[in-house]
Amino acid sequence: MTVAAGIDIGSSGVKTAIFRVENNGGENNGGETNGVVTNGGEKPVETLLAGRVDRLLRRNPLTVAKEAYQAVLEAAGLSAGDVHYVASTGEGEMIEFRRGHFYTMTTHARGARYMVAGAEAALDVGALHARAIHMDPRSKVLQYRMTSQCASGSGQFLENIARYLGVTLEEVGPLSLEAENPEKISGICAVLAETDVINFVSRGIPAGNILRGIHESMAGRYIRLLKAAGATGKVAITGGLSRDTGLVGALNRTAADQKMELEITAHPEAIMAGAYGAALWGAFRHEFLARRGSA
Amino acid sequence: MKKNKALEKIQQRCQALYEDLNLATVRAWKAEAPGRKAIGFMPVYIPREILHAAGILPVGLMGADIEIIRGDAYFQSYICHIPRSTIEMAVNGSLDALDGVIFPSICDVIRNLSGMWKMMFPDKYSKYLDLPQNFTPGLAGEYYIAELRTLAADMERLSGHRITDDALRESIRLYNRNRELVLELYDLRAEKPWQVRTVELYLLLRAGNLLPVEEHNAMLEAYREAIEGEERQALDNSRIVLTGAFCEQPPLGLIHTIERSGCYIVDDDFVLGSRFLTAPIPEEGDPVANIAQTFLDHAMETPFVYIAEKEKGEALVRQCRRRRGEGVIFSAASFCDPALLDQPMVSAAVEREGIPYTEFKYAENTGQFQVIKEQTGTFSDSIKLWGNE
Repeated sequence: MTVAAGIDIGSSGVKTAIFRVENNGGENNGGETNGVVTNGGEKPVETLLAGRVDRLLRRNPLTVAKEAYQAVLEAAGLSAGDVHYVASTGEGEMIEFRRGHFYTMTTHARGARYMVAGAEAALDVGALHARAIHMDPRSKVLQYRMTSQCASGSGQFLENIARYLGVTLEEVGPLSLEAENPEKISGICAVLAETDVINFVSRGIPAGNILRGIHESMAGRYIRLLKAAGATGKVAITGGLSRDTGLVGALNRTAADQKMELEITAHPEAIMAGAYGAALWGAFRHEFLARRGSA
Repeated sequence: MKKNKALEKIQQRCQALYEDLNLATVRAWKAEAPGRKAIGFMPVYIPREILHAAGILPVGLMGADIEIIRGDAYFQSYICHIPRSTIEMAVNGSLDALDGVIFPSICDVIRNLSGMWKMMFPDKYSKYLDLPQNFTPGLAGEYYIAELRTLAADMERLSGHRITDDALRESIRLYNRNRELVLELYDLRAEKPWQVRTVELYLLLRAGNLLPVEEHNAMLEAYREAIEGEERQALDNSRIVLTGAFCEQPPLGLIHTIERSGCYIVDDDFVLGSRFLTAPIPEEGDPVANIAQTFLDHAMETPFVYIAEKEKGEALVRQCRRRRGEGVIFSAASFCDPALLDQPMVSAAVEREGIPYTEFKYAENTGQFQVIKEQTGTFSDSIKLWGNE
């Protein structure tokens, strides 16, 4: 039995989780546990003990991570000594109490497969970037594509737009889904798109139509990323924008329009994918190192 | 606590020396006694013992991450960065403390730089040191001994000091000790990479570019002592051998990035001149002949060294095995002909041995590391998670 924690420092929040992994048999089945039996017939059991999301709100990410880790330990009824492996991901490579660090793509692939059984790809949409990740059944990344450093089509961009429109982030998805006449955004540049939005507002266009237009513009970019990464079948959205139902709807519509056989879903805890993946990979590494005598 | 302070002091000194682009350290050394001379040298290797025996300070020049205003005018756009920054520093007066520069044969760019130097600074000493590419003792030995004696005569003339055999033997002893200390730290890092951070080791080597060897030896010994008192956490990182950076050095941020992305660098070719000879030079007998023979018998196999009998890449495979490296990072300067022309052969050699590798290029003024972080981070992950497959 291994207890492992995952800490994902993103650009707007810290996600923390603790898992207990049993019957893994030391094999790197990397998420095949969803229905695949290994270890001589006994199915590995991955149990989430505690998890939480903390917004940074201009605080030091390392301080937030430390506090969040203490909080999940308490929630799980554990002390730091009970945890075999603390894995960081995202921008968490400076966390002092980490045992190891995994890159974002690796952890999102694992987390996506843990949450969405049979997922063949993950679409990680965070505050600043979007990545399409194509993986094999053991969460091994086969191919990926990501947006450039341009802020357009990111969570931060959408937050700005919501602020201009005077709506909360929770309202963005439902408003977009209800809209019937999406207003087309002329470009993908964040600055030009924001200019477009100001013009739409001054012309009295309803917020829902503007948001749906933006979602469709973003979805177009993300679908191109997925296509370039060779994604097929089930796609799990991860990252902060996984909560945006309007975006999920736009993605599925765009995929259908382009006759791509993608089933794009967002797990309710999709924002935790990085932290979950880090913890699960951490558990594997602990067992691997223990077998080698260097845990 | 006391040891931590000692370590901090060494780190601060090394950082200050790394940032000393105007060679204030060299000026201060020269000011301590009238008539002192300092000679710069370009990467990778020169026999510093001969300069030291003449009382001359050898100063390693490794370019800099500076704004290039005039340096670009001298080179085509498809040439590496180090000659640009070297010219820039020369014309802006940063290298005024030097009484000359030695250009060892490593590539066409450095050779051409030596010619330009002669034209631009006719009043200063300038030498193209044609290191042998034939490693047979007869002809190559005779040639190289003659070349070294010419260099020694130049140094005697420049310094006004005769190089006695005893003085040269003492210099050999000091540089042997220097190589020994550097190699001990490389061994310690391979054994406990969390204890000897590559950034620290790199800065220690860079300090040796400016300091007299006696002072550098003391610094290396002090670091070794200070580091033994440190308790640093061992991380679950992959073990990487980095190669390709033997001439133009990567920016410090890139080394930080590789380490932070989850890689322990367990061997590298940074500041390679400090350990280019893989065996000590004999301290008895004819010192010039000993320097020459050690070069012929024990020069490190690197891209700028002609290898006739063996396969290119064998040395890297051996290095990887010896250091228990789990993967190789080919990190070469953009437009570095020796490194990039060798890379296909060397990568084929590691591939044959089933050693995973990744590759990227940099320039000494590279400022964005996000893409490299992503590449080395995922490479490290793939080794940790799938390395056994």
